[in-house]
Amino acid sequence: MGLQMLVNAILLGGLYALMGIGFSLQWGISGIINLSYGAMVMLGSYISLEIFNFFQIDPFISMIMSGAILFVIGAIIYRGLLQPFLKGGIVFTLILTYATRLIIENIILKVWSADYRTIRLSYVGSNFQFGNAYVPLIKFLAFLLAGVLVYLTYLFMMKTKTGKGIQAVALDKEGAQAVGIDVEKMYMINFAVGTALAGITGSLWATIYSFSPHLIGVIVGKVFIIAILGGLGNIWGAAAGGLLLGFAEVAGASFIGSEWQEAIGMVIMVSVLLWRPYGLMGKKFFA
Amino acid sequence: MLNKKVNIFLLFIAIALFVFLPRFLTGYWVRVLTTIFMYAVISQGMNLMSGYMGYLPFGNAMFFGIGAYVTAIGMSKGLPFVLVIPLAAMTAILFSILLGTPVLRLRGHYFAIATIGMSGALLSVVQNATEITGGAMGTTLPIIDKAPGVVYNYFYLAMLGLMVTTTLSIHFLVKSKFGFGIRSIKANEEAADSMGINTTFHKVTAWAISAFFTSIAGGLYAYWMSFIGPDEVFDVMIAVNTIVIMLIGGAGSILGPIIGAFIIELFAEVAWSAFLEYHLAVLGIMIVAIVIFVPKGVISAITDVLKRKKISVRKKVTL
Repeated sequence: MGLQMLVNAILLGGLYALMGIGFSLQWGISGIINLSYGAMVMLGSYISLEIFNFFQIDPFISMIMSGAILFVIGAIIYRGLLQPFLKGGIVFTLILTYATRLIIENIILKVWSADYRTIRLSYVGSNFQFGNAYVPLIKFLAFLLAGVLVYLTYLFMMKTKTGKGIQAVALDKEGAQAVGIDVEKMYMINFAVGTALAGITGSLWATIYSFSPHLIGVIVGKVFIIAILGGLGNIWGAAAGGLLLGFAEVAGASFIGSEWQEAIGMVIMVSVLLWRPYGLMGKKFFA
Repeated sequence: MLNKKVNIFLLFIAIALFVFLPRFLTGYWVRVLTTIFMYAVISQGMNLMSGYMGYLPFGNAMFFGIGAYVTAIGMSKGLPFVLVIPLAAMTAILFSILLGTPVLRLRGHYFAIATIGMSGALLSVVQNATEITGGAMGTTLPIIDKAPGVVYNYFYLAMLGLMVTTTLSIHFLVKSKFGFGIRSIKANEEAADSMGINTTFHKVTAWAISAFFTSIAGGLYAYWMSFIGPDEVFDVMIAVNTIVIMLIGGAGSILGPIIGAFIIELFAEVAWSAFLEYHLAVLGIMIVAIVIFVPKGVISAITDVLKRKKISVRKKVTL
């Protein structure tokens, strides 16, 4: 029983970790609280659904497509909509990303309706035993891929020229500009990487859970908690925040009751905000 | 001085006009106007916090929900409406002080997010405390035993009165010494603090005032609808709408929220009937258009145009 709970928490937390990183990067580095993040995750799920229906391609492969499509969408939204109004402050970015969410939500409702959809993979029932706990194969695969993607994001930020440029911009905007880094381009790439991660998470989500536009708000609530737990713009922080939220939800569901899940998450978030606004693991670096 | 007298005169004319307006309108338009007044009240609460003080309470809908639910619970226990409304307002003020004292230490993004979190937590509590609140199914209020037309007129007048009271109170508040303190917090909080302004007191009091008016609007709404559900009265969309209303009218101007409420709600009414399946997208596109074309709001756009005219007139004179 104890081990099974632990396994469930880790498997759930892995997905949350991947989901939170994109949001955390967008907020911490580009300075945008992306309220359309949940809609973008769901869009990723639906893209995988369409590819699965038409070509019978596994979401574990089609997630590359959702990542690419969402990357382009993110870049367009940043350049066309958000960048001109960044100086207007938080009111404008919140309102504009909320408007984006409404538009995407309406598109999803119109194209795929409000019903819950699922992707049934042929190996949906397979699982293996770990100690005396059952591990569903799909959840395990999703967890593994999420871990790999978190690490790839980290490598991108630390090892590539673009990633280093983004780090430099986050540290010191004027300084980065002075040494010839295209600051606006870095912000755009960072934002687009965030939305791409949202899309990929959506594809992975679609392999495990059913999805519908009703989840958009729920997901936004979760990524807020994850990002704040980990500290904004901090990849490993967000990963830890995701795992922590996974534990809190699994433990909360079995000890207090699953209907209190959201309240528990929100209370944790507000307390962390008050106690350590720069996150449990963060330094006072980005925020 | 004359200007002031003219303003007061115009105000009375406007109020009188609106008091007698329902006689010439169908029930549908009376309801639309009541909704507009309600949104104007909530937007004034948002305007006080955001437009004048520079803090964005993104979860301000929770006070609307508190007002609505305290009214619903109180009336289902048999208390009269006139007694329940002060109770609802007191509860909202209590919440705003208890939550605001720690949370208002946070700035910018963090404050906005913390209020969303609190609103979400409160929604969850209301959904799960089924014995008291009726849970996710919602709860009903007693219906006034009169013809619907008469009842709608009551609520029209009540909302109109609330809107006028709210607007006048915030107008005088902002002009007062307290309002000066609030505006100095928006300009520069550290400077205000070092000049001896008790910023914590100012911030919490401003939020309590915002909560006060928002909760009364919530209470009136609950009695008016006679049925409320938690998702509906704690909806983040309420706060989003009020922010959009504030932006289009003009943040930090006293008539901004009223003008914004008229523009947005009338437009939303048209959008609902014309694009039933696309109303979310239409609303989203409208928000984007507002931010792009009138980022400072209608009022400042109009004054800008007037100023330009004055300047051009002056140029002609000098030529």
